[in-house]
Amino acid sequence: MSVKTLFSRAGILVLVAVSSWSSIASDFLVSTDWLEKNLQDPKVRLIEVSVNPGVYERGHIAGATNLVWHTDLVDTVKRDIVGKEQFQQLLRKAGVSSDSTVVLYGDTNNWFAAWGAWIFDIYQVPNVKLLDGGRSKWEAEKRPLTIAQKAAKPGNITLGEPDYSLRAGLKDVLEIAEKRSDYGLVDIRSKDEYEGKIFAPAGVQELAVRAGHVPGAVNVPWGSAVAADGSFKSKEELKQLYAAVGIDGSKPVVVYCRIGERSSHTWFALKKILGYDVRNYDGSWTEYGNSVGVPITNVAGTVWGGK
Amino acid sequence: MSSPALFLSFNSRIRWSVTLVLAAVLGLAAWYLQYEAQLSFSLLSGAAFGYVIQRSRFCFYCISRDFIERRETRGLLGLLTALALGLVGYHAVFGIFVPDASVGRLPPGAHIGAISWALVFGATAFGLGMALAGSCISAVLYRLGEGAFSGLVVLPSVLLGFLLGFYCWNSVYLQFMQQSPAIWLPAELGYAGSLLVQLTVLALLAALLFRFGRDKAPAAATTYQAIFVTRWPAFVGGILVAVIATLAYLRVAPLGVTAELGSISRSLGSQLSSFPTRFEGLDTMRGCATVVKETLLSNNGVFILALIAGAFAAALPAGDFKPSLPRLRDLPRLIGGGILMGFGAMLALGCTVGVLLSGIMASALSGWIFLLCCSAGLYAGWWLRQR
Repeated sequence: MSVKTLFSRAGILVLVAVSSWSSIASDFLVSTDWLEKNLQDPKVRLIEVSVNPGVYERGHIAGATNLVWHTDLVDTVKRDIVGKEQFQQLLRKAGVSSDSTVVLYGDTNNWFAAWGAWIFDIYQVPNVKLLDGGRSKWEAEKRPLTIAQKAAKPGNITLGEPDYSLRAGLKDVLEIAEKRSDYGLVDIRSKDEYEGKIFAPAGVQELAVRAGHVPGAVNVPWGSAVAADGSFKSKEELKQLYAAVGIDGSKPVVVYCRIGERSSHTWFALKKILGYDVRNYDGSWTEYGNSVGVPITNVAGTVWGGK
Repeated sequence: MSSPALFLSFNSRIRWSVTLVLAAVLGLAAWYLQYEAQLSFSLLSGAAFGYVIQRSRFCFYCISRDFIERRETRGLLGLLTALALGLVGYHAVFGIFVPDASVGRLPPGAHIGAISWALVFGATAFGLGMALAGSCISAVLYRLGEGAFSGLVVLPSVLLGFLLGFYCWNSVYLQFMQQSPAIWLPAELGYAGSLLVQLTVLALLAALLFRFGRDKAPAAATTYQAIFVTRWPAFVGGILVAVIATLAYLRVAPLGVTAELGSISRSLGSQLSSFPTRFEGLDTMRGCATVVKETLLSNNGVFILALIAGAFAAALPAGDFKPSLPRLRDLPRLIGGGILMGFGAMLALGCTVGVLLSGIMASALSGWIFLLCCSAGLYAGWWLRQR
């Protein structure tokens, strides 16, 4: 066999491998193609978590159940994620059983779907995957949506005790800021928020009375982890992206944003795709930037309330 | 029937040409916006709504005045038709959006307003204002398409009224609205019950109108005249308004014409140093909520512009396009009416379209309260104008 044939055969082999990889479910991501082929599978439970109200109702992927992030996935009185009992009831109603494959998707680049995935992981729900590219990719590929809602056959999932090793608290982040523990810290907000030029993006209510970032944090805006079509970049690209700022998996990582939801997207990339040890700090800047006495790096020097 | 255009006068042909050009422009714009499906739909539904309310003279003040002064009922019967069929259409959509009405979730986006004194006061002020100005906001818009340029005095006054509303908002909200409930009839009565009760009320109202009405039989017309020239029978307008309202809710949002005006007013207001920077609870309220304008093209902005264009396209072949300027002595009345409407629409979070039409169709108690109070205000305004 000539070298040329060898190369072309190897090439074909790689092509076959890549194309078949894209049509099977990976451990944590499913492609739009895979999902469309497996919609009829009773083991696949599809759940939409969209930011904007009315999106699901006006057209969703067939068979999907809707979870409302601001009532279903949180404690509506104290600032915390949903409690175990309520969440278990919700999942059973959505037809989730212990042998289900749960596929999450949502609008605006899966922000809240990824946040959902983080909560599913905390409660140790097995086989949870994200639809790569979310709603926007599905819609861009002109795949069908439906407005029909079908009540799922109740499932039998039993949740485990919450695994809080996936979550970082203010105390943990403060230890990192004061160099008492050796963690990588990734701030996924915009450059302007990171540098302290602004307190929060335009139009949002949740503010902090100090601008800047946690000392020692590196800035990798969440959007740099996605390709043009909204899906995650390849594992290799992601590895390079984060290694360039010193996040290479050699030590555990904490990610944060403003309220903890977009950072879940980066948490997913680092934890699920790259397999690093990562925690999401869901208190994020609205907690840290409002805390009294904590160290802050404010490059821009913007002063709260100043004129 | 052969092409009617052959029998048309030169004048009519020119009018038709403008209408067809306008239709082509609207079509092209909708095609251009095809990747922004909601904008494209808003444009087409706005044009259709403008066309229909021009052809059927769906003007809340005019049809009420017709009844008060001449016992003419067909306009009001058209409104009742729209409400009845809209209720049916909305319930059909609700069955999909919220399969079980009793779980405590409200259907997304439906205009289910809070029941408070602010609603009562706002709706009454709105009714008074529309009587003074001679038409409500949606009618001002479609009559702009008929060349009634007095609307160019009323609309800025509406913006001013909104501005006043914004200044009062925080105290009104905290005093009257913060704890007030949003009552959705299907949650109380179930879908069947809500539909039955409301259709019965509408049927009773229709029976009253039949009892007291003294309508003259409309003049006979050719098919061409019936479609393009004379006013449509009330039920035709009513049916089509209900269809547009249902489709609009299914695809984008309930019909409303004040969201864009409110957001323009808020953007203008934010230039003033004394303008409040926060509006407590405003983003949690249902209705034509008023956000700060961020994009040039919003769904509601496109809807309103297309509404005027659709009404213009309808008015031309009908011979209803008659440019007129307001008389100087009418200015105080028009300005006062506009301010009252803007102020009332801010407190009630919408107008005759957003709260009355879209609210009752959505089975919101707030819609019915708006209907009552707005009618009372309208009657008071009509009475004042007789003095």
